[in-house]
Amino acid sequence: MTLRTLITFAAAMALTAGSAFAASHGGDIIFEKPVKGVIFSHKFHVEDTGLSCEMCHSRLFEMGRTTQEKADFVMESLYQGKYCGACHNGTLAFASNTRCATCHIGVKGQKRLSPGANHEKTGH
Amino acid sequence: MDNKIDLNNSKNEGLENVPMQQRRDFLKMGLAITGIFAGGSMLSVASTFNRAHASDFAKKYPYNPHYSMVMRQDRCIDCERCMEACVKTNHVPNVHGAYRTTILEKETPDAIGGKREFIPVLCNQCNLPQCVRVCPTKATYKDKSNGIVMMDIKKCIGCLTCQEGCPYNARYFSEDKKAVDKCNFCIDTRLASGEKQTACAFACPADVRVFGDLSKQDDEVFKLVHQIEKTVWVLRPEAGTRPNVFYTKG
Repeated sequence: MTLRTLITFAAAMALTAGSAFAASHGGDIIFEKPVKGVIFSHKFHVEDTGLSCEMCHSRLFEMGRTTQEKADFVMESLYQGKYCGACHNGTLAFASNTRCATCHIGVKGQKRLSPGANHEKTGH
Repeated sequence: MDNKIDLNNSKNEGLENVPMQQRRDFLKMGLAITGIFAGGSMLSVASTFNRAHASDFAKKYPYNPHYSMVMRQDRCIDCERCMEACVKTNHVPNVHGAYRTTILEKETPDAIGGKREFIPVLCNQCNLPQCVRVCPTKATYKDKSNGIVMMDIKKCIGCLTCQEGCPYNARYFSEDKKAVDKCNFCIDTRLASGEKQTACAFACPADVRVFGDLSKQDDEVFKLVHQIEKTVWVLRPEAGTRPNVFYTKG
């Protein structure tokens, strides 16, 4: 192999490793409980706003998709500063009783994001 | 003289000879195209010189109870629990396009942080129902005691003219019943056995759907429709059917 090929190969490895690192943040989570169609984007919260893992995962949330199993994962808890409400209180981020559709994409939004969604022909 | 009317050669007699009383009656028909707005006043599309009020209509449509629903639209998050509850309670077939209630979606890209709105819709149990007017067999009718537009499925011939006539796309043909089906406010499946709410209103986790009785002044629905601080509207008032389902925010 030429040196140029070797460098190109190494660059490609680094890039894929970089994107693999990004996906390993946790990706998009779509909650189904207590209600369906609620999205959380790790990409937005980590890459676009620069939050670190400990900011949420030391106290507010466990890793591993367990939050939706919690019985108190309801809007009232958010209004009292639990879960997302720790930041989404109007000061650090938009208040959790505003802009509902940002997270509540609904069953329709969830269907659009699911694999195979493009095969669905929505008539009329 | 030939008494047959020759449609090809008939003359337009013009308006000059129409008596004043007939002209007045015709203009008053403008009042027939209305919807109930906040504060209980009615908005007439055609004329402003004669304002009718909801209390006039209460006398004309003395349903007791006068079932009605208010949608607090800003709370809807499209969790679709209402749709699931309706399908389960009323045995709606799992067929594309078959629904008694559904959620419409409206994109709002220009709103602050704007994404979309979700709008629940169902049969509006109209006061002047177009579907009842066009049914050739009287298979659908407005129940005189409670105002619900009912189906008599024995008489339905499946012509689907009612479906065409409905401004709210509330009707669908049920292959199970071999008749047209639509929301009836769970009158047979829930209200008749003493439940106070329809299945959809009961299932909603965000209190979007407020179901109640417009004839009672202490009812939540009455208060929401008749308060004047927040806007209350109906869908497609221009259709002239005088719906019984109202929408508000806040």
